[in-house]
Amino acid sequence: MTDRAAHIYEQGYRAYDGERLGVRASVRSLAVHSILRGLGLRRTFWAKLLPIATVGIAYLPAAVFLGIAAIIPDEITGDLDAIPGYADYFGNITAAIVLFVAIVGPEVLCSDRRNGMLGMYLASPLTRETYLLAKVLAVLPVLLLVTLGPQLLLLIGRTLIDVGPETVADFALVLVRTLVAGLVVAAIYTAVSLAAASLTDRRAVASAGVILTLLVSSSVTSALVEGADFDRRLYLLNLAFLPFELVQRIYGELGSEPTLATASLVAGVFTWVIGAAAVVWWRYQQLTVAR
Amino acid sequence: MTDIVVRAKGVVKRWGSTLALAGVDAEIGPGVTGLLGANGAGKTTLLGLILGLHRQDEGRIQVLGLDPTTAGPEVRARLGYAPEHEALPGDVRAHDLVRHLAEVHGLPRKAAVGRASDALWHVGLGEERFRPIGTMSTGQKQRVKLAAALAHDPALLLLDEPTNGLDPMQRDAMLQLIRRIGTDFGISVILSSHLLEEVERVCDGVLILSAGTVVTSGRLDELRGGGGAFIVEPDGDVEALAARLRAAGLEVEVVGLRLAVTGEELAVVDAVRDACAELAIGIRRLQRRTATLEDVFLAAGTAV
Repeated sequence: MTDRAAHIYEQGYRAYDGERLGVRASVRSLAVHSILRGLGLRRTFWAKLLPIATVGIAYLPAAVFLGIAAIIPDEITGDLDAIPGYADYFGNITAAIVLFVAIVGPEVLCSDRRNGMLGMYLASPLTRETYLLAKVLAVLPVLLLVTLGPQLLLLIGRTLIDVGPETVADFALVLVRTLVAGLVVAAIYTAVSLAAASLTDRRAVASAGVILTLLVSSSVTSALVEGADFDRRLYLLNLAFLPFELVQRIYGELGSEPTLATASLVAGVFTWVIGAAAVVWWRYQQLTVAR
Repeated sequence: MTDIVVRAKGVVKRWGSTLALAGVDAEIGPGVTGLLGANGAGKTTLLGLILGLHRQDEGRIQVLGLDPTTAGPEVRARLGYAPEHEALPGDVRAHDLVRHLAEVHGLPRKAAVGRASDALWHVGLGEERFRPIGTMSTGQKQRVKLAAALAHDPALLLLDEPTNGLDPMQRDAMLQLIRRIGTDFGISVILSSHLLEEVERVCDGVLILSAGTVVTSGRLDELRGGGGAFIVEPDGDVEALAARLRAAGLEVEVVGLRLAVTGEELAVVDAVRDACAELAIGIRRLQRRTATLEDVFLAAGTAV
Protein backbone atom coordinates (compact mmCIF):
# COMPACT_ATOMS: atom_id res chain seq x y z
CA MET A 1 0.00 0.00 0.00
CA THR A 2 1.08 3.52 -0.63
CA ASP A 3 -0.39 6.80 0.54
CA ARG A 4 1.10 8.71 -2.32
CA ALA A 5 -1.49 10.20 -4.61
CA ALA A 6 -1.09 11.85 -7.95
CA HIS A 7 -1.74 15.59 -8.10
CA ILE A 8 -2.13 17.83 -11.10
CA TYR A 9 -0.50 21.13 -10.23
CA GLU A 10 -0.71 22.78 -13.61
CA GLN A 11 -3.57 21.90 -15.89
CA GLY A 12 -2.35 23.95 -18.82
CA TYR A 13 -4.68 25.73 -21.16
CA ARG A 14 -6.89 23.59 -23.35
CA ALA A 15 -8.24 25.10 -26.54
CA TYR A 16 -11.89 24.35 -27.29
CA ASP A 17 -12.55 22.60 -30.55
CA GLY A 18 -16.03 21.31 -29.80
CA GLU A 19 -19.39 22.40 -31.11
CA ARG A 20 -20.32 26.08 -31.09
CA LEU A 21 -24.02 26.79 -31.09
CA GLY A 22 -25.52 29.79 -32.81
CA VAL A 23 -27.35 32.92 -31.76
CA ARG A 24 -30.46 30.90 -30.92
CA ALA A 25 -28.55 29.21 -28.11
CA SER A 26 -27.31 32.61 -26.90
CA VAL A 27 -30.89 33.88 -26.75
CA ARG A 28 -32.02 30.74 -24.93
CA SER A 29 -29.24 30.99 -22.38
CA LEU A 30 -29.96 34.65 -21.65
CA ALA A 31 -33.71 33.98 -21.45
CA VAL A 32 -33.22 31.15 -18.95
CA HIS A 33 -30.77 33.21 -16.92
CA SER A 34 -33.23 36.11 -16.88
CA ILE A 35 -36.13 33.87 -15.84
CA LEU A 36 -34.11 32.63 -12.88
CA ARG A 37 -33.15 36.20 -12.07
CA GLY A 38 -36.75 37.43 -12.33
CA LEU A 39 -37.89 34.79 -9.89
CA GLY A 40 -34.93 35.38 -7.58
CA LEU A 41 -33.71 31.80 -8.04
CA ARG A 42 -30.03 31.04 -7.35
CA ARG A 43 -29.97 34.31 -5.44
CA THR A 44 -30.35 35.32 -1.82
CA PHE A 45 -33.41 34.49 0.25
CA TRP A 46 -34.55 38.12 0.14
CA ALA A 47 -34.32 38.22 -3.64
CA LYS A 48 -36.61 35.18 -3.83
CA LEU A 49 -39.08 36.32 -1.19
CA LEU A 50 -41.18 38.88 -3.07
CA PRO A 51 -41.57 37.11 -6.44
CA ILE A 52 -42.25 33.72 -4.89
CA ALA A 53 -44.68 35.20 -2.34
CA THR A 54 -46.52 37.06 -5.10
CA VAL A 55 -46.85 33.90 -7.17
CA GLY A 56 -48.16 32.15 -4.05
CA ILE A 57 -50.75 34.90 -3.50
CA ALA A 58 -51.96 34.47 -7.10
CA TYR A 59 -52.57 30.75 -6.58
CA LEU A 60 -53.90 30.94 -3.03
CA PRO A 61 -57.50 31.97 -3.80
CA ALA A 62 -57.84 29.24 -6.42
CA ALA A 63 -56.51 26.64 -3.99
CA VAL A 64 -58.84 27.88 -1.23
CA PHE A 65 -61.93 27.95 -3.46
CA LEU A 66 -61.18 24.48 -4.79
CA GLY A 67 -60.49 23.20 -1.30
CA ILE A 68 -63.78 24.55 0.01
CA ALA A 69 -65.68 23.08 -2.92
CA ALA A 70 -63.97 19.72 -2.50
CA ILE A 71 -64.23 19.41 1.27
CA ILE A 72 -67.56 21.01 2.13
CA PRO A 73 -70.53 18.92 1.04
CA ASP A 74 -72.96 20.33 -1.52
CA GLU A 75 -75.71 20.22 1.10
CA ILE A 76 -73.92 22.97 3.03
CA THR A 77 -72.85 25.15 0.10
CA GLY A 78 -76.24 24.60 -1.50
CA ASP A 79 -76.65 26.15 -4.88
CA LEU A 80 -73.87 28.64 -4.28
CA ASP A 81 -71.02 28.20 -6.65
CA ALA A 82 -68.09 28.56 -4.27
CA ILE A 83 -65.59 28.80 -7.12
CA PRO A 84 -65.39 32.03 -9.16
CA GLY A 85 -65.55 31.87 -12.96
CA TYR A 86 -62.36 31.80 -15.01
CA ALA A 87 -62.66 35.40 -16.16
CA ASP A 88 -63.80 36.64 -12.74
CA TYR A 89 -60.80 35.03 -11.08
CA PHE A 90 -58.54 37.76 -12.51
CA GLY A 91 -60.45 40.20 -10.28
CA ASN A 92 -59.32 38.24 -7.22
CA ILE A 93 -55.64 38.43 -8.10
CA THR A 94 -55.30 41.78 -9.89
CA ALA A 95 -53.13 43.19 -7.10
CA ALA A 96 -50.81 40.16 -7.21
CA ILE A 97 -50.53 40.42 -10.99
CA VAL A 98 -49.74 44.14 -10.88
CA LEU A 99 -47.17 43.62 -8.11
CA PHE A 100 -45.53 40.77 -10.01
CA VAL A 101 -45.41 42.81 -13.22
CA ALA A 102 -43.80 45.66 -11.29
CA ILE A 103 -41.15 43.32 -9.89
CA VAL A 104 -40.23 41.13 -12.85
CA GLY A 105 -39.76 43.53 -15.78
CA PRO A 106 -37.47 45.94 -13.92
CA GLU A 107 -35.49 43.08 -12.36
CA VAL A 108 -34.90 41.48 -15.73
CA LEU A 109 -34.07 44.64 -17.69
CA CYS A 110 -32.75 47.33 -15.31
CA SER A 111 -30.17 45.13 -13.59
CA ASP A 112 -28.09 44.55 -16.74
CA ARG A 113 -27.78 48.27 -17.38
CA ARG A 114 -27.13 49.13 -13.77
CA ASN A 115 -24.42 46.53 -13.14
CA GLY A 116 -22.85 46.84 -16.59
CA MET A 117 -23.73 43.35 -17.83
CA LEU A 118 -25.39 44.88 -20.89
CA GLY A 119 -21.93 45.65 -22.29
CA MET A 120 -20.85 42.04 -21.69
CA TYR A 121 -23.94 40.71 -23.47
CA LEU A 122 -23.58 43.03 -26.45
CA ALA A 123 -19.95 41.92 -26.75
CA SER A 124 -21.30 38.40 -27.34
CA PRO A 125 -23.09 37.10 -30.45
CA LEU A 126 -26.22 38.87 -29.18
CA THR A 127 -27.32 42.08 -30.87
CA ARG A 128 -29.55 44.68 -29.26
CA GLU A 129 -32.53 43.06 -30.97
CA THR A 130 -31.74 39.48 -29.97
CA TYR A 131 -30.90 40.68 -26.46
CA LEU A 132 -34.36 42.25 -26.18
CA LEU A 133 -35.95 39.16 -27.68
CA ALA A 134 -34.34 37.08 -24.93
CA LYS A 135 -35.72 39.48 -22.33
CA VAL A 136 -39.23 39.21 -23.76
CA LEU A 137 -38.89 35.43 -23.80
CA ALA A 138 -37.95 35.64 -20.13
CA VAL A 139 -40.60 38.05 -18.87
CA LEU A 140 -43.53 36.59 -20.81
CA PRO A 141 -43.39 33.03 -19.39
CA VAL A 142 -42.68 34.36 -15.92
CA LEU A 143 -45.80 36.54 -16.07
CA LEU A 144 -47.74 33.55 -17.39
CA LEU A 145 -47.09 32.00 -13.98
CA VAL A 146 -49.68 34.41 -12.56
CA THR A 147 -51.85 35.13 -15.60
CA LEU A 148 -52.24 31.53 -16.78
CA GLY A 149 -51.16 29.20 -14.00
CA PRO A 150 -53.95 29.94 -11.49
CA GLN A 151 -56.61 29.66 -14.22
CA LEU A 152 -55.21 26.30 -15.29
CA LEU A 153 -55.32 25.22 -11.65
CA LEU A 154 -58.95 26.32 -11.51
CA LEU A 155 -59.79 24.45 -14.69
CA ILE A 156 -58.09 21.24 -13.59
CA GLY A 157 -59.47 21.52 -10.06
CA ARG A 158 -63.02 22.15 -11.25
CA THR A 159 -62.75 19.20 -13.60
CA LEU A 160 -61.44 16.90 -10.87
CA ILE A 161 -64.19 17.80 -8.39
CA ASP A 162 -66.76 17.53 -11.12
CA VAL A 163 -67.85 21.16 -11.38
CA GLY A 164 -65.88 21.90 -14.54
CA PRO A 165 -66.50 21.34 -18.24
CA GLU A 166 -68.59 18.25 -18.78
CA THR A 167 -67.34 17.08 -22.16
CA VAL A 168 -63.93 16.87 -23.74
CA ALA A 169 -64.97 19.52 -26.25
CA ASP A 170 -66.05 21.87 -23.46
CA PHE A 171 -62.78 21.24 -21.66
CA ALA A 172 -60.79 21.98 -24.82
CA LEU A 173 -62.75 25.20 -25.40
CA VAL A 174 -62.13 26.45 -21.86
CA LEU A 175 -58.50 25.41 -22.11
CA VAL A 176 -58.00 27.41 -25.31
CA ARG A 177 -59.83 30.42 -23.82
CA THR A 178 -57.67 30.16 -20.70
CA LEU A 179 -54.46 30.01 -22.74
CA VAL A 180 -55.46 32.99 -24.91
CA ALA A 181 -56.65 35.03 -21.92
CA GLY A 182 -53.45 34.34 -19.97
CA LEU A 183 -51.34 35.20 -22.99
CA VAL A 184 -53.19 38.49 -23.61
CA VAL A 185 -52.73 39.70 -20.04
CA ALA A 186 -49.11 38.55 -19.94
CA ALA A 187 -48.33 40.15 -23.31
CA ILE A 188 -49.67 43.62 -22.52
CA TYR A 189 -48.06 43.67 -19.07
CA THR A 190 -44.75 42.32 -20.40
CA ALA A 191 -44.65 45.19 -22.88
CA VAL A 192 -45.61 47.82 -20.31
CA SER A 193 -43.19 46.60 -17.64
CA LEU A 194 -40.29 46.38 -20.11
CA ALA A 195 -41.08 49.85 -21.45
CA ALA A 196 -41.02 51.32 -17.94
CA ALA A 197 -37.84 49.38 -17.14
CA SER A 198 -36.13 50.59 -20.31
CA LEU A 199 -36.46 54.23 -19.25
CA THR A 200 -34.52 54.04 -16.01
CA ASP A 201 -31.60 52.07 -14.59
CA ARG A 202 -33.15 52.00 -11.13
CA ARG A 203 -35.36 49.00 -10.45
CA ALA A 204 -37.33 50.73 -7.69
CA VAL A 205 -38.13 53.69 -9.95
CA ALA A 206 -39.19 51.36 -12.75
CA SER A 207 -41.39 49.31 -10.40
CA ALA A 208 -43.02 52.48 -9.11
CA GLY A 209 -43.41 53.61 -12.72
CA VAL A 210 -45.27 50.43 -13.67
CA ILE A 211 -47.66 50.71 -10.72
CA LEU A 212 -48.19 54.44 -11.26
CA THR A 213 -48.86 53.95 -14.98
CA LEU A 214 -51.57 51.42 -14.17
CA LEU A 215 -53.09 53.50 -11.38
CA VAL A 216 -52.97 56.80 -13.25
CA SER A 217 -54.37 55.30 -16.47
CA SER A 218 -57.18 53.80 -14.41
CA SER A 219 -58.06 56.80 -12.27
CA VAL A 220 -57.73 59.43 -15.01
CA THR A 221 -59.83 57.53 -17.56
CA SER A 222 -62.46 56.69 -14.95
CA ALA A 223 -62.65 60.32 -13.83
CA LEU A 224 -62.91 61.60 -17.41
CA VAL A 225 -65.51 59.04 -18.51
CA GLU A 226 -67.64 58.91 -15.40
CA GLY A 227 -67.14 62.46 -14.17
CA ALA A 228 -66.81 64.48 -17.37
CA ASP A 229 -68.82 62.34 -19.77
CA PHE A 230 -65.95 61.63 -22.11
CA ASP A 231 -66.32 58.92 -24.73
CA ARG A 232 -66.27 55.48 -23.12
CA ARG A 233 -63.64 54.41 -25.62
CA LEU A 234 -61.22 56.32 -23.40
CA TYR A 235 -61.27 53.14 -21.30
CA LEU A 236 -59.04 51.65 -23.96
CA LEU A 237 -56.26 53.66 -22.33
CA ASN A 238 -57.02 52.12 -18.94
CA LEU A 239 -54.36 49.48 -18.37
CA ALA A 240 -56.09 48.12 -15.30
CA PHE A 241 -59.29 47.63 -17.27
CA LEU A 242 -58.45 46.88 -20.89
CA PRO A 243 -56.83 43.42 -20.65
CA PHE A 244 -59.35 42.12 -18.11
CA GLU A 245 -62.29 43.39 -20.16
CA LEU A 246 -60.89 41.54 -23.15
CA VAL A 247 -60.49 38.45 -20.97
CA GLN A 248 -64.26 38.61 -20.25
CA ARG A 249 -64.96 38.60 -23.98
CA ILE A 250 -62.54 35.73 -24.55
CA TYR A 251 -64.58 33.67 -22.08
CA GLY A 252 -67.73 34.68 -23.97
CA GLU A 253 -69.04 37.11 -21.38
CA LEU A 254 -70.27 40.67 -21.87
CA GLY A 255 -67.90 42.33 -19.46
CA SER A 256 -68.46 45.56 -17.59
CA GLU A 257 -68.44 47.82 -20.69
CA PRO A 258 -70.60 46.02 -23.26
CA THR A 259 -70.72 49.14 -25.45
CA LEU A 260 -67.05 48.70 -26.29
CA ALA A 261 -66.67 46.38 -29.25
CA THR A 262 -64.40 43.35 -28.78
CA ALA A 263 -62.48 44.41 -31.88
CA SER A 264 -61.71 47.78 -30.29
CA LEU A 265 -60.47 45.97 -27.16
CA VAL A 266 -58.21 43.78 -29.31
CA ALA A 267 -56.96 46.87 -31.14
CA GLY A 268 -56.37 48.60 -27.82
CA VAL A 269 -54.26 45.73 -26.47
CA PHE A 270 -52.40 45.47 -29.76
CA THR A 271 -51.66 49.22 -29.76
CA TRP A 272 -50.39 49.15 -26.18
CA VAL A 273 -48.08 46.20 -26.94
CA ILE A 274 -46.71 47.76 -30.14
CA GLY A 275 -46.34 51.18 -28.52
CA ALA A 276 -44.52 49.84 -25.47
CA ALA A 277 -42.31 47.63 -27.64
CA ALA A 278 -41.43 50.69 -29.75
CA VAL A 279 -40.38 52.57 -26.60
CA VAL A 280 -38.09 49.70 -25.56
CA TRP A 281 -36.60 49.35 -29.04
CA TRP A 282 -36.02 53.10 -29.37
CA ARG A 283 -34.45 53.29 -25.93
CA TYR A 284 -32.01 50.47 -26.67
CA GLN A 285 -31.03 51.98 -29.98
CA GLN A 286 -30.02 55.11 -28.06
CA LEU A 287 -27.88 53.27 -25.52
CA THR A 288 -24.17 53.43 -26.15
CA VAL A 289 -21.79 50.80 -24.84
CA ALA A 290 -17.98 50.78 -25.18
CA ARG A 291 -17.81 54.39 -26.33
CA MET B 1 -3.00 33.95 -45.50
CA THR B 2 -1.95 36.84 -43.30
CA ASP B 3 -1.83 36.64 -39.51
CA ILE B 4 -3.31 40.09 -39.08
CA VAL B 5 -6.12 39.90 -36.51
CA VAL B 6 -7.37 43.47 -36.88
CA ARG B 7 -7.00 45.65 -39.93
CA ALA B 8 -8.36 49.22 -39.99
CA LYS B 9 -8.25 51.49 -43.00
CA GLY B 10 -9.23 55.14 -42.76
CA VAL B 11 -11.61 54.54 -39.87
CA VAL B 12 -13.48 57.65 -38.79
CA LYS B 13 -15.95 57.69 -35.91
CA ARG B 14 -17.83 60.71 -34.64
CA TRP B 15 -19.93 60.99 -31.50
CA GLY B 16 -22.11 63.96 -32.31
CA SER B 17 -19.71 66.82 -32.87
CA THR B 18 -16.82 64.98 -31.21
CA LEU B 19 -14.36 63.30 -33.53
CA ALA B 20 -13.37 60.13 -31.65
CA LEU B 21 -11.35 58.49 -34.43
CA ALA B 22 -9.97 60.61 -37.23
CA GLY B 23 -8.91 58.19 -39.94
CA VAL B 24 -7.25 55.29 -38.16
CA ASP B 25 -5.02 53.07 -40.27
CA ALA B 26 -3.68 50.11 -38.35
CA GLU B 27 -2.77 46.46 -38.58
CA ILE B 28 -2.66 44.43 -35.40
CA GLY B 29 -0.90 41.09 -35.53
CA PRO B 30 -0.98 38.09 -33.20
CA GLY B 31 0.50 38.14 -29.70
CA VAL B 32 -0.12 40.82 -27.11
CA THR B 33 -0.65 44.29 -28.53
CA GLY B 34 -0.92 47.38 -26.39
CA LEU B 35 -3.48 49.97 -27.35
CA LEU B 36 -1.98 52.99 -25.75
CA GLY B 37 -3.25 56.51 -25.37
CA ALA B 38 -4.45 59.11 -22.96
CA ASN B 39 -8.03 59.08 -21.72
CA GLY B 40 -10.18 60.23 -24.63
CA ALA B 41 -7.64 59.18 -27.25
CA GLY B 42 -10.18 56.83 -28.84
CA LYS B 43 -9.08 53.47 -27.39
CA THR B 44 -12.48 52.34 -26.14
CA THR B 45 -14.18 53.58 -29.31
CA LEU B 46 -11.76 51.50 -31.37
CA LEU B 47 -12.51 48.46 -29.19
CA GLY B 48 -16.23 49.10 -29.70
CA LEU B 49 -15.71 49.14 -33.47
CA ILE B 50 -13.69 45.92 -33.31
CA LEU B 51 -16.60 44.36 -31.42
CA GLY B 52 -19.08 45.66 -33.98
CA LEU B 53 -20.97 47.58 -31.32
CA HIS B 54 -20.86 50.75 -33.42
CA ARG B 55 -20.64 51.45 -37.09
CA GLN B 56 -17.77 53.63 -38.28
CA ASP B 57 -18.71 56.77 -40.21
CA GLU B 58 -15.98 56.20 -42.77
CA GLY B 59 -13.36 53.59 -43.58
CA ARG B 60 -13.24 49.83 -43.20
CA ILE B 61 -12.37 47.50 -40.39
CA GLN B 62 -11.73 43.77 -40.48
CA VAL B 63 -11.47 41.51 -37.44
CA LEU B 64 -10.25 37.94 -37.89
CA GLY B 65 -10.94 38.39 -41.59
CA LEU B 66 -14.58 39.45 -41.06
CA ASP B 67 -16.33 42.79 -41.16
CA PRO B 68 -17.84 43.36 -37.68
CA THR B 69 -20.44 45.78 -39.04
CA THR B 70 -22.00 43.08 -41.19
CA ALA B 71 -20.94 39.91 -39.35
CA GLY B 72 -21.13 41.18 -35.76
CA PRO B 73 -22.43 37.99 -34.11
CA GLU B 74 -19.89 35.80 -35.95
CA VAL B 75 -17.03 38.12 -34.99
CA ARG B 76 -18.13 38.46 -31.38
CA ALA B 77 -18.49 34.69 -31.00
CA ARG B 78 -14.71 34.53 -31.50
CA LEU B 79 -13.85 37.50 -29.31
CA GLY B 80 -13.51 37.82 -25.56
CA TYR B 81 -14.06 41.22 -23.98
CA ALA B 82 -13.37 42.46 -20.49
CA PRO B 83 -14.70 46.02 -20.18
CA GLU B 84 -13.09 48.74 -18.13
CA HIS B 85 -16.04 49.45 -15.87
CA GLU B 86 -17.35 47.14 -13.20
CA ALA B 87 -19.68 44.86 -15.10
CA LEU B 88 -20.64 42.07 -12.78
CA PRO B 89 -23.78 41.32 -10.79
CA GLY B 90 -22.83 41.08 -7.14
CA ASP B 91 -25.36 38.43 -6.16
CA VAL B 92 -24.32 35.83 -8.74
CA ARG B 93 -21.64 33.24 -8.08
CA ALA B 94 -18.49 33.60 -10.17
CA HIS B 95 -18.84 30.16 -11.70
CA ASP B 96 -22.49 30.71 -12.62
CA LEU B 97 -21.67 33.96 -14.38
CA VAL B 98 -18.66 32.64 -16.30
CA ARG B 99 -20.61 29.52 -17.32
CA HIS B 100 -23.56 31.62 -18.42
CA LEU B 101 -21.41 33.93 -20.55
CA ALA B 102 -19.67 30.94 -22.12
CA GLU B 103 -23.12 29.62 -23.08
CA VAL B 104 -24.11 33.02 -24.45
CA HIS B 105 -20.98 32.80 -26.62
CA GLY B 106 -22.27 29.55 -28.06
CA LEU B 107 -20.80 26.78 -25.93
CA PRO B 108 -23.11 23.87 -25.07
CA ARG B 109 -24.08 23.67 -21.41
CA LYS B 110 -21.77 20.78 -20.47
CA ALA B 111 -18.73 22.32 -22.15
CA ALA B 112 -19.53 25.71 -20.60
CA VAL B 113 -19.60 24.22 -17.09
CA GLY B 114 -16.20 22.61 -17.50
CA ARG B 115 -14.57 25.55 -19.20
CA ALA B 116 -15.93 28.00 -16.63
CA SER B 117 -14.16 26.01 -13.91
CA ASP B 118 -10.98 25.83 -15.99
CA ALA B 119 -11.00 29.56 -16.76
CA LEU B 120 -11.49 30.43 -13.10
CA TRP B 121 -8.60 28.12 -12.17
CA HIS B 122 -6.40 29.75 -14.78
CA VAL B 123 -7.05 33.23 -13.40
CA GLY B 124 -6.35 31.99 -9.89
CA LEU B 125 -9.89 31.81 -8.57
CA GLY B 126 -10.30 28.05 -8.54
CA GLU B 127 -10.99 27.91 -4.82
CA GLU B 128 -13.22 30.98 -4.91
CA ARG B 129 -15.33 30.06 -7.90
CA PHE B 130 -18.55 29.44 -6.00
CA ARG B 131 -18.42 32.71 -4.09
CA PRO B 132 -20.88 35.50 -4.93
CA ILE B 133 -19.04 38.12 -6.94
CA GLY B 134 -20.21 40.88 -4.60
CA THR B 135 -18.09 39.40 -1.81
CA MET B 136 -14.90 39.54 -3.90
CA SER B 137 -12.13 42.13 -3.90
CA THR B 138 -11.55 44.46 -6.86
CA GLY B 139 -8.65 42.30 -8.01
CA GLN B 140 -10.77 39.16 -7.88
CA LYS B 141 -13.58 40.86 -9.80
CA GLN B 142 -11.11 41.89 -12.52
CA ARG B 143 -10.04 38.26 -12.73
CA VAL B 144 -13.65 37.08 -12.95
CA LYS B 145 -14.09 39.43 -15.92
CA LEU B 146 -10.97 37.95 -17.48
CA ALA B 147 -12.22 34.40 -16.89
CA ALA B 148 -15.58 35.32 -18.45
CA ALA B 149 -13.78 36.69 -21.51
CA LEU B 150 -11.60 33.57 -21.70
CA ALA B 151 -13.98 30.69 -21.03
CA HIS B 152 -15.26 30.28 -24.59
CA ASP B 153 -11.70 30.10 -25.96
CA PRO B 154 -11.70 33.28 -28.05
CA ALA B 155 -9.27 33.87 -30.89
CA LEU B 156 -8.82 37.46 -29.76
CA LEU B 157 -9.15 38.92 -26.30
CA LEU B 158 -9.92 42.62 -25.79
CA LEU B 159 -8.97 43.93 -22.37
CA ASP B 160 -9.93 47.49 -21.53
CA GLU B 161 -7.77 48.85 -18.69
CA PRO B 162 -7.68 45.48 -16.88
CA THR B 163 -5.44 46.75 -14.08
CA ASN B 164 -7.70 49.61 -13.04
CA GLY B 165 -8.20 49.67 -9.29
CA LEU B 166 -5.59 47.01 -8.57
CA ASP B 167 -2.86 47.36 -5.98
CA PRO B 168 0.75 46.88 -7.19
CA MET B 169 0.87 43.17 -6.37
CA GLN B 170 -2.49 42.44 -7.98
CA ARG B 171 -1.40 44.47 -10.98
CA ASP B 172 1.77 42.44 -11.26
CA ALA B 173 -0.16 39.19 -11.15
CA MET B 174 -2.69 40.42 -13.70
CA LEU B 175 0.06 41.49 -16.13
CA GLN B 176 1.81 38.13 -15.78
CA LEU B 177 -1.48 36.40 -16.50
CA ILE B 178 -2.11 38.54 -19.59
CA ARG B 179 1.38 37.71 -20.83
CA ARG B 180 0.68 33.99 -20.31
CA ILE B 181 -2.58 34.27 -22.24
CA GLY B 182 -0.75 35.82 -25.17
CA THR B 183 2.10 33.30 -25.12
CA ASP B 184 1.19 30.00 -23.41
CA PHE B 185 -2.52 30.07 -24.27
CA GLY B 186 -1.92 31.20 -27.85
CA ILE B 187 -4.71 33.78 -27.74
CA SER B 188 -4.08 37.17 -29.31
CA VAL B 189 -4.67 40.00 -26.88
CA ILE B 190 -5.34 43.70 -27.34
CA LEU B 191 -4.57 45.42 -24.09
CA SER B 192 -5.99 48.91 -23.85
CA SER B 193 -4.13 51.00 -21.32
CA HIS B 194 -2.95 54.48 -20.57
CA LEU B 195 0.05 53.16 -18.64
CA LEU B 196 3.29 52.97 -20.63
CA GLU B 197 4.99 50.73 -18.16
CA GLU B 198 2.47 47.92 -18.26
CA VAL B 199 2.30 47.91 -22.05
CA GLU B 200 6.08 47.79 -22.15
CA ARG B 201 6.09 44.84 -19.76
CA VAL B 202 3.67 42.52 -21.48
CA CYS B 203 3.19 43.56 -25.09
CA ASP B 204 4.85 42.41 -28.28
CA GLY B 205 3.42 45.26 -30.29
CA VAL B 206 1.85 48.63 -29.68
CA LEU B 207 -0.64 50.95 -31.32
CA ILE B 208 -0.43 54.46 -29.94
CA LEU B 209 -3.46 56.69 -30.32
CA SER B 210 -3.65 60.38 -29.71
CA ALA B 211 -6.74 62.49 -30.31
CA GLY B 212 -8.22 59.77 -32.50
CA THR B 213 -5.26 59.25 -34.77
CA VAL B 214 -2.54 56.62 -34.83
CA VAL B 215 0.68 58.24 -33.67
CA THR B 216 2.79 55.16 -34.17
CA SER B 217 2.37 51.41 -34.34
CA GLY B 218 4.46 48.31 -34.80
CA ARG B 219 6.39 45.69 -32.94
CA LEU B 220 7.78 46.96 -29.69
CA ASP B 221 11.33 45.71 -30.36
CA GLU B 222 11.38 47.57 -33.67
CA LEU B 223 9.97 50.76 -32.17
CA ARG B 224 12.51 50.57 -29.37
CA GLY B 225 15.37 50.05 -31.81
CA GLY B 226 16.86 53.45 -30.86
CA GLY B 227 17.25 54.85 -34.36
CA GLY B 228 20.33 52.79 -35.26
CA ALA B 229 22.46 54.01 -32.38
CA PHE B 230 24.89 51.80 -30.45
CA ILE B 231 26.06 52.15 -26.87
CA VAL B 232 29.80 51.64 -26.33
CA GLU B 233 31.24 51.43 -22.85
CA PRO B 234 35.05 51.38 -23.08
CA ASP B 235 37.43 50.28 -20.35
CA GLY B 236 39.63 53.34 -20.82
CA ASP B 237 39.72 56.90 -22.15
CA VAL B 238 36.21 57.74 -23.41
CA GLU B 239 37.17 61.05 -25.03
CA ALA B 240 40.06 59.53 -26.95
CA LEU B 241 37.85 56.78 -28.29
CA ALA B 242 35.18 59.35 -29.22
CA ALA B 243 37.76 61.36 -31.16
CA ARG B 244 38.93 58.27 -33.06
CA LEU B 245 35.40 57.30 -33.97
CA ARG B 246 34.53 60.83 -35.11
CA ALA B 247 37.67 60.76 -37.23
CA ALA B 248 36.33 57.54 -38.78
CA GLY B 249 33.26 59.50 -39.87
CA LEU B 250 30.77 58.33 -37.23
CA GLU B 251 28.37 60.45 -35.27
CA VAL B 252 29.36 60.15 -31.61
CA GLU B 253 27.82 61.50 -28.43
CA VAL B 254 29.57 61.16 -25.07
CA VAL B 255 27.14 60.19 -22.31
CA GLY B 256 29.10 59.96 -19.04
CA LEU B 257 31.43 56.97 -19.36
CA ARG B 258 29.63 55.72 -22.47
CA LEU B 259 29.41 56.68 -26.08
CA ALA B 260 26.33 56.70 -28.25
CA VAL B 261 27.54 55.92 -31.77
CA THR B 262 25.23 56.22 -34.75
CA GLY B 263 25.88 54.48 -38.02
CA GLU B 264 25.55 51.26 -40.00
CA GLU B 265 25.94 48.23 -37.73
CA LEU B 266 28.96 46.78 -39.54
CA ALA B 267 30.70 50.14 -39.83
CA VAL B 268 30.16 50.92 -36.14
CA VAL B 269 31.36 47.51 -34.94
CA ASP B 270 34.46 47.60 -37.19
CA ALA B 271 35.34 51.17 -36.23
CA VAL B 272 34.94 50.51 -32.50
CA ARG B 273 37.04 47.34 -32.75
CA ASP B 274 39.82 49.10 -34.67
CA ALA B 275 39.82 52.20 -32.47
CA CYS B 276 39.96 50.17 -29.26
CA ALA B 277 42.77 48.06 -30.67
CA GLU B 278 44.77 51.15 -31.63
CA LEU B 279 44.19 52.77 -28.21
CA ALA B 280 44.77 49.44 -26.44
CA ILE B 281 41.62 49.70 -24.40
CA GLY B 282 39.07 47.05 -23.68
CA ILE B 283 35.31 47.09 -24.37
CA ARG B 284 32.95 46.53 -21.45
CA ARG B 285 29.81 46.79 -23.50
CA LEU B 286 28.77 47.20 -27.11
CA GLN B 287 25.09 46.94 -27.83
CA ARG B 288 22.32 48.43 -29.88
CA ARG B 289 20.66 51.25 -27.96
CA THR B 290 17.04 50.51 -27.04
CA ALA B 291 14.59 53.29 -26.44
CA THR B 292 11.93 53.07 -23.74
CA LEU B 293 8.33 53.29 -24.76
CA GLU B 294 8.41 56.73 -23.22
CA ASP B 295 11.12 57.71 -25.70
CA VAL B 296 8.90 56.41 -28.49
CA PHE B 297 6.07 58.47 -27.12
CA LEU B 298 8.11 61.60 -26.80
CA ALA B 299 9.56 61.11 -30.25
CA ALA B 300 6.02 60.89 -31.55
CA GLY B 301 5.19 64.14 -29.79
CA THR B 302 2.56 62.52 -27.60
CA ALA B 303 1.94 62.62 -23.91
CA VAL B 304 0.08 60.01 -21.90
